[in-house]
Amino acid sequence: MKVDIGGLVLKNPVMTASGTFGYGEEYSSYVDLARLGAVVVKGLSLKPRRGNPPPRIMETPSGMLNAVGLENVGIHSFIETKLPFLRNYDVAVIVNILGETIGEYAALASIADAAAGIHAIEVNISCPNVAKGGIIFGADPDQVLNVTRAVRKATRLPVIMKLSPNVTDITVIARAAEEGGADAISLINTLRGMSIDIHTRTPHLCTVTGGLSGPAVKPVALRMVWEVVNAVSIPVIGIGGIMEASDALEFLIAGATAVQVGTAHYRNPRAALDVCEGIERYCVKNGIPDIRDLIGTLAAGGACRV
Amino acid sequence: MKSIDCAAVVSIREVVEGHYLLTLHVPRRYLRALPGQFVMLRIHERSVPFLGRPFSIHRVYTRGKHTLMEILFRAAGAGTVACAQLKKGDTVVLTGPLGSGFHVPGRCTDMVLVAGGMGVAPLMFLAEHGAMRPRKRRRVIHCYFGARTASHLYRLARLKTLCTEVKVATDDGSLGYRGTVTDLFLMDLPQFNPNRTALFVCGPDMMFRSMALIMRGSNLSCQVSIEERMACGIGACLGCAVEDEHGIYKRVCKDGPVFDITELHW
Ligand SMILES: Cc1cc2nc3c(=O)[nH]c(=O)nc-3n(C[C@H](O)[C@H](O)[C@H](O)COP(=O)(O)OP(=O)(O)OC[C@H]3O[C@@H](n4cnc5c(N)ncnc54)[C@H](O)[C@@H]3O)c2cc1C
Ligand SMILES: Cc1cc2nc3c(=O)[nH]c(=O)nc-3n(C[C@H](O)[C@H](O)[C@H](O)COP(=O)(O)O)c2cc1C
Ligand code: FES
Repeated sequence: MKVDIGGLVLKNPVMTASGTFGYGEEYSSYVDLARLGAVVVKGLSLKPRRGNPPPRIMETPSGMLNAVGLENVGIHSFIETKLPFLRNYDVAVIVNILGETIGEYAALASIADAAAGIHAIEVNISCPNVAKGGIIFGADPDQVLNVTRAVRKATRLPVIMKLSPNVTDITVIARAAEEGGADAISLINTLRGMSIDIHTRTPHLCTVTGGLSGPAVKPVALRMVWEVVNAVSIPVIGIGGIMEASDALEFLIAGATAVQVGTAHYRNPRAALDVCEGIERYCVKNGIPDIRDLIGTLAAGGACRV
Repeated sequence: MKSIDCAAVVSIREVVEGHYLLTLHVPRRYLRALPGQFVMLRIHERSVPFLGRPFSIHRVYTRGKHTLMEILFRAAGAGTVACAQLKKGDTVVLTGPLGSGFHVPGRCTDMVLVAGGMGVAPLMFLAEHGAMRPRKRRRVIHCYFGARTASHLYRLARLKTLCTEVKVATDDGSLGYRGTVTDLFLMDLPQFNPNRTALFVCGPDMMFRSMALIMRGSNLSCQVSIEERMACGIGACLGCAVEDEHGIYKRVCKDGPVFDITELHW
């Protein structure tokens, strides 16, 4: 079940998605963290962030909208108070970072680099409201190139660039990340969406719009992962609406080297582990000795009845 | 390791139009659940509700070898409407008990419960705990229960057996005081000794706000059990934020759902 993400060898290809699994501790009484491929923690900024006012979440058909607003304890407090707990487990720890400027991203990366017990850095470039106007950082290939370069220079750890799906052509962004020196790419972050209460004629979220996640986004995520796999030569991590093993298998067949399980944890705190066990069963049943023999085996055009 | 449990529906009964009493067969450990704690519940193998819904534990008891738990709920939106369609023998998925319970200070001799509508769900559990204490250590339980109309004063008879005294208020005056339950309580407020009395409140948002105002002029200790939309229920998603008095966000599911009323920003 082992996979290699830019030099980081994971015991299996199933990780937890940032922001959906807290700092690991919250779920540790429901699942043995050591059995996961990696734990990706909540997005961390240089200073603690307060997050958005409630209401922050709303259920939508087969998914949910969230506007948590990247509330987090800040990277220093994370290293002091949350990381020691994770070091007790034999599991790869990936920190997810978000900055408001390129300088902040670089600073975050070097702080993470200096802390013991962090195995890789995932860079969230889908954060809105960053330097220079309201555009999403990750929507501009030049910015993506610059952020990736800056983070690359600041650390020896594997760098995973996490892409936003809210762009016109994801492959352009992915290539920029590869060119900047990323070791891997993960996608997708949430899709922007909204929902309205027709009785009060107000939005359901305080911020009006929020990020959509859950099974509703899976077909979009899968399509984007497949496009990126075909556009770059670095490993790709598939994220978006993975609820069970069959969903994860689709991503692996499409060419993802690993997957992350997110919103599914809210329905089932054991979701990542269940996905992992399901992949194992599938491999045994189909005589696949090494998970790598499955990755990227999509027979394109195979469905056409010519 | 904590488990996520499948629980069978033992019965479901519509107590008043749109309001249901759900009885579930739960693992034994639920006997240790504290009043004020809640569960996350969703329907097994159904995609609606997609996320579990939080429900206060209304009652836990044993019948023969079985441990049973009751939930009292109102069909409000899509999720609870789906729950209302549960049938005997159906299975639900439960995580819990979750969150902090009410804390009854040792020195307190009088408990005052102020319940609005569905807010009676956790408070009746608290009253039951109080009534189960050995006679010599039993506290006086004063209950103020308000609802829109008399038929919405759920399980009033049972409440009367658990409490020393129950006073009711209805918006339409169909039973008891005509007006809000907070106004009814306010009239009695001076009779309670702050050193010996603890106040427990659960109800709609409006009610918390009026209680917060009343409490500003009083030094009674007052705990509230509040609601916010939830996804994980265990402190990980940060979806259930509520602002505290210092402007810091607390998680209702993990830091609450029971808070001291003065701890929060109203
Ligand atoms: C700790 C806790 C204990 C609770 N205990 C009970 C209980 O004992 N009995 C009971 O009937 N209900 C209880 N609730 C509320 C319940 O969980 C439902 O979420 C709520 O009734 C709406 O769910 P829905 O699926 O029907 O509505 P949705 O379709 O999700 O929404 C319908 C409406 O309800 C509002 N709403 C959604 N979620 C909540 C929520 N968590 N709290 C308040 N309003 C919400 C929405 O803003 C919307 O206007 C509790 C909530 C919490 C947080
Ligand atoms: C409540 C919530 C909080 C999230 N917080 C973060 C975050 O801090 N950083 C990040 O990169 N992604 C964050 N995400 C996005 C997820 O990691 C993931 O990319 C997305 O939800 C899609 O996967 P899913 O459908 O499996 O949840 C968050 C998602 C949710 C639902
Ligand atoms: S519901 Fe997820 S943190 Fe409270």
